[in-house]
Amino acid sequence: MTGVDTRPLDPAAATVVAEHLYANGWTDGLPALPATDETVERFLAETDRDPDDVVARHLALDRAVTVRDVAVHAIMAGCLPEYFPAVLTAWDALAADRAANGGGWQSTSGPAPLVIVNGPLRDRLDVNSGGGVLGPGFRANATIPRAIGLTVRNGFGIRPHGFEQATQGLPGRWTMGIAEAEEASPWEPFSVDGGLEAGDDAVSVMLLRTCEFVDNRHFTDPVQVLRDFADTIQRSGSWIFRHSCVGILMNPDHARVLAEAGMSKQDVREWLVAHSGKTEAELAAVGKGLSRLPDGPFPPDHFHPVFADASPKSLPIIVAGSPNAAMSMVFRVFGEWSGRSFPVR
Amino acid sequence: MASTIIDPTVSSSGSTKKGRMPRAARSASLAGARVGLLENTKRNAADLLDDIGETLVRDFGAAELVRKTKKQFALPLTAEVLAELSESCDVVVVGVGDCGSCSAAAVADGIALERAGIPTAVICTEAFAATSQAMADLKGDPGFPYILTEHPVANLDARQLGDRAAQLVSEVVARLTTASVSAPRAADSALSVPA
Repeated sequence: MTGVDTRPLDPAAATVVAEHLYANGWTDGLPALPATDETVERFLAETDRDPDDVVARHLALDRAVTVRDVAVHAIMAGCLPEYFPAVLTAWDALAADRAANGGGWQSTSGPAPLVIVNGPLRDRLDVNSGGGVLGPGFRANATIPRAIGLTVRNGFGIRPHGFEQATQGLPGRWTMGIAEAEEASPWEPFSVDGGLEAGDDAVSVMLLRTCEFVDNRHFTDPVQVLRDFADTIQRSGSWIFRHSCVGILMNPDHARVLAEAGMSKQDVREWLVAHSGKTEAELAAVGKGLSRLPDGPFPPDHFHPVFADASPKSLPIIVAGSPNAAMSMVFRVFGEWSGRSFPVR
Repeated sequence: MASTIIDPTVSSSGSTKKGRMPRAARSASLAGARVGLLENTKRNAADLLDDIGETLVRDFGAAELVRKTKKQFALPLTAEVLAELSESCDVVVVGVGDCGSCSAAAVADGIALERAGIPTAVICTEAFAATSQAMADLKGDPGFPYILTEHPVANLDARQLGDRAAQLVSEVVARLTTASVSAPRAADSALSVPA
């Protein structure tokens, strides 16, 4: 993949290969690239891991996926060899993810992994953290999560209408890879919240159920922005359990305004945790009252907070996107994520 | 010289293909049987299994009900729970597989219990026929006779649950005994079921 290849291009052969991959049911609906022993060796050269080490398991389906297998899936997804350690590390993160291990890939919710890259690796791999961070247009952003999807499909054998039972799925499944805009953030990197040192190359992963934009660019007071976040965070449609994990992909301009008001990232979390929620009456009005729980029943004005606590695990905040307009995304975590960032290797 | 394109569905860790899974031997009736009710925490699952179990005691002579909860509905039964069920029950009713992961897992649990010598009746909802069947295929028992009931179960009220249980009882008895076995699906005929 590096160096100049002077062989003549053969578009007819490329089409035949692409159709072969389709005909075998090996792609996610988009064209994929063929993996060969030669290309796999190029990927394996990018990591110190033993090619036969198991990096992903699916307990219920009794499947094990090795480093070598993940190389095959990453090649097919369109990754460059230098992305391979990030793909492997994404699987380290997923191995620690209760939701992914608890049937997430088969779920009716059809959750999408959000892969977050921190550290100098962002520049080496050209992972976009700025404008259009959720895509499209950047190879690393697009192909690293796609490699996860092809492992789920081909390595675990979880395919739509078979073991995969997504009711509607969601836009962005297998395409959500981002870098944090660390330089544009007033706060410590997200990977520090995940337990690593600033400046470490890190990958964090969580499964998402959706992203919802918060467009708030004419505020006159930072608390207005926080109230706007809280209103989106606490909406009833996504409310299924007692507590939820809900994160923010925060625009650098929103982060700046909050930081200039003297708020740390933790201060923001604590404000949102204290202010996001619904009363028992509001939940009951949509058939989601919590009075059947063991600590119920609750009076109508009882306030149910969205969050269990003010930890980064409950409320992850990642700074990304262009500051050209003060828009952020609220994202819904499927179940819970590990709360940990993983060193790239 | 063209290189060979690697098949991404074959792991370098080796094949996980299983041989045919044996099924448990059945008795002619449930008289005196200890009936396990393995509910998976899904809404209404425990109540539906309770309704079915009470009918098995009242009308079919079952001796007792052994209620167990599978806390992680997406995952296979742990060896401990499998051993407990094998020791404390003669037959087990499993349910309700009404989601993507728990339907497949319910079928896997049924097949594991059969292998341990315990006849099972596994209840999934019709919406999850594909994933129930996919697990039966994966586990080497493509004719495994899980029971499909109308979806959804989760929002039935108590009276509707009672009706549903009444509809399901004869099929549950057919799965657990050699009595009045209903017509097997086509794939079933390929498999020899121990008497």
